[in-house]
Amino acid sequence: MGMRERIIAILVNNKPGVLSRVSGVFGRLGYNIESLCVAETISPEVSRITSITNADSDFIEKVKKQLIRLVDVLDVVELVPGQSAQREMILIGINMDQHNRPEIIEGIGLFDCKIISMHNDYCIIQAAGSREEMGTIINFFNPFGVDKIARTGVVALQHKDSEF
Amino acid sequence: MEKTGAEILLQTLKEEGVEIIFGYPGANSLPIHDSLDESPIRHYLVRHEQAAAHAADGYARATGKVGVCMGTSGPGATNLVTGIATAYMDSTPMIVLTGQVTTDLLGSDAFQETDIIGITMPITKHSYLITDPANIQSTVKQAFEIARSGRPGPVLIDLPRNVMAAKLEQSENEKPVTPTLKKRHAESKKNEQQLQQIAKYMNMSERPVILIGGGVKLSQACDELSTLIEKGSIPFVSTMMGIGSVQTANGFNLGFIGTHGNKLANRIAHDSDFILTVGARFSDRSTSIVKEFAPLATIAQIDIDPSSIGKVIKADISLVCDIKEALAELIPLVEKRDRAEWLKRITMERDTLGKDRSMKECGPAGAFIGNVQKAMSEKSIAITDVGLNQIWTLRSWETKTPRGMITPGGLGTMGFGLPAAMGVKVGMPDHDVIVFSGDGGFFMNIQELATISYYNLPVKIVVFNNGHLGMIRQIQDLFYGARFNDIELGDNVDIVAVAKGFGIQADRVNVEDSGSGIEKMCAADGPFLLEVLVDPDTYVFPIIPPGRSNIDMIGGRQG
Repeated sequence: MGMRERIIAILVNNKPGVLSRVSGVFGRLGYNIESLCVAETISPEVSRITSITNADSDFIEKVKKQLIRLVDVLDVVELVPGQSAQREMILIGINMDQHNRPEIIEGIGLFDCKIISMHNDYCIIQAAGSREEMGTIINFFNPFGVDKIARTGVVALQHKDSEF
Repeated sequence: MEKTGAEILLQTLKEEGVEIIFGYPGANSLPIHDSLDESPIRHYLVRHEQAAAHAADGYARATGKVGVCMGTSGPGATNLVTGIATAYMDSTPMIVLTGQVTTDLLGSDAFQETDIIGITMPITKHSYLITDPANIQSTVKQAFEIARSGRPGPVLIDLPRNVMAAKLEQSENEKPVTPTLKKRHAESKKNEQQLQQIAKYMNMSERPVILIGGGVKLSQACDELSTLIEKGSIPFVSTMMGIGSVQTANGFNLGFIGTHGNKLANRIAHDSDFILTVGARFSDRSTSIVKEFAPLATIAQIDIDPSSIGKVIKADISLVCDIKEALAELIPLVEKRDRAEWLKRITMERDTLGKDRSMKECGPAGAFIGNVQKAMSEKSIAITDVGLNQIWTLRSWETKTPRGMITPGGLGTMGFGLPAAMGVKVGMPDHDVIVFSGDGGFFMNIQELATISYYNLPVKIVVFNNGHLGMIRQIQDLFYGARFNDIELGDNVDIVAVAKGFGIQADRVNVEDSGSGIEKMCAADGPFLLEVLVDPDTYVFPIIPPGRSNIDMIGGRQG
């Protein structure tokens, strides 16, 4: 049925309440927003919302139409892998002890992560890349005792020749 | 010159053509009421804010203008919610003004504070909270533009009291109207192509049908549609909201389709090979079982709202466009045909089903409504409530103009009829206005008898009293093994005495012998209420049982 993770980018007027309306459309259709990223674009009056939801193509058509109907929504596009660049950033807080510390440090180097803070028993690292790469990194560090993860959610842009 | 926010608001409303506001004051909307005195806009005080919303809705449906209603913050605003949802479902252009606590108190659970914008988000086309008085003029203008453009709908404007009371130098208020950023979404440039396709199928088809929805009259495209129908000799069916849009004298009108529609309409739609749908959203009430709807037909859909296309039924050809524009371009492409075969078949079908069936199937209530219509003037406007009374009226009253039948089809709101009739009368003072209601719906906004009495609005009110919630009773009788639960309203209340207590002339008749009652009602100068006693076993047929398709209409109890 085509149920898979879908990235939808929505350009909206940068005004209070718009995010609420947009998420209301998803909620009303009974779908969960897996991740959401919103920020100003080059024009400060326009914001870009990048959202991920698990759905089939029928749903995407339905949600696109209901979103474009909203007064403050300017454009809606599904960003398809292969035709778009998709990136995510994560911060991971890891508990360390003298036994696993060397391996953790090795992992940080292996995956090209940045060390944001480092203590004897705790570090916060930053990683950025594709959603799949983030998944791989999290899987690597999990067994060591990951304390918390904060993810930005995916941001994406259509590849060249696209107006979006 | 200095003006207050409220004065600027009212001035802008006047510039947008507003003459009437239906409302109810409260502490947080007082600055507006204070300025209404100086304004040419007339305020009608209702007895419950829900009625203000229904009245504005009825006013808009009857006149085609934008209806305006107003309530205070907190409970005043929440009381408007049902009325806003009703307008939203039927795409009525409406502006809802709500008072709000002062800006410094927002979000503090202040006295009479609610987040009405949050509450009404899913049932408004758009909404605004004005926090800067310099934005009042541009926001209100934008709100009206949104309410009446594209697919119309209700727009709410939340007005904190201090913003309304604030004083502004006239020059500060000369801020130019900020234009809304245009949508970047590519406008459909394929109109030409779609129209050619539609014309091709229409010309090619042997058994075409046009399905008329509420959007045709909203687009003011009734004349264009009539021309198309006459030119192509195409029979048409309507949804509940499309009734009255087109008048023809040559038997093209097959009636209305769906759960409570005509057998003829449902059957012919089922047999058609091409259906052109204009301004209808294929609600579940019209289509019943989607996969069994018109199985042989190619379906073309024209609507201004892209989200209505393909939402329920997959349209084979779709066109997102204003209906008036689309039809104007379609007419020259459609060939003149006489379609004798198809029309002959329809005539045969019609004769088989019997011409007067629809009257008979609405029983004595249907006959009564027919008699009332005969006694009233040609230009009369009918309003219904919801339930058996609604279906009897839709099927027995001959709707002669696109805005001659007002019914809350989308939300099915009981209690709509009486307050909506007030709005209709205020908006169309030169027309006779009559509302048909059941006892159930009548009680829901019964307090508006006081409003009607106070303003002496000469509305005719018919209350079909069967002592029950009739439509529910029918459903329980047919589909719940006649287990009647929680539907008996009883007969302890003397409706005629109640009406007289409200200062309204009233009389009571039996549905079978109602001649003199009808005469009295029509002859009365001011408002008049006629209570019509009906046997609770009087139902409405045919209907489509739940879960069955459009051609499975039943005419009575099964087995």
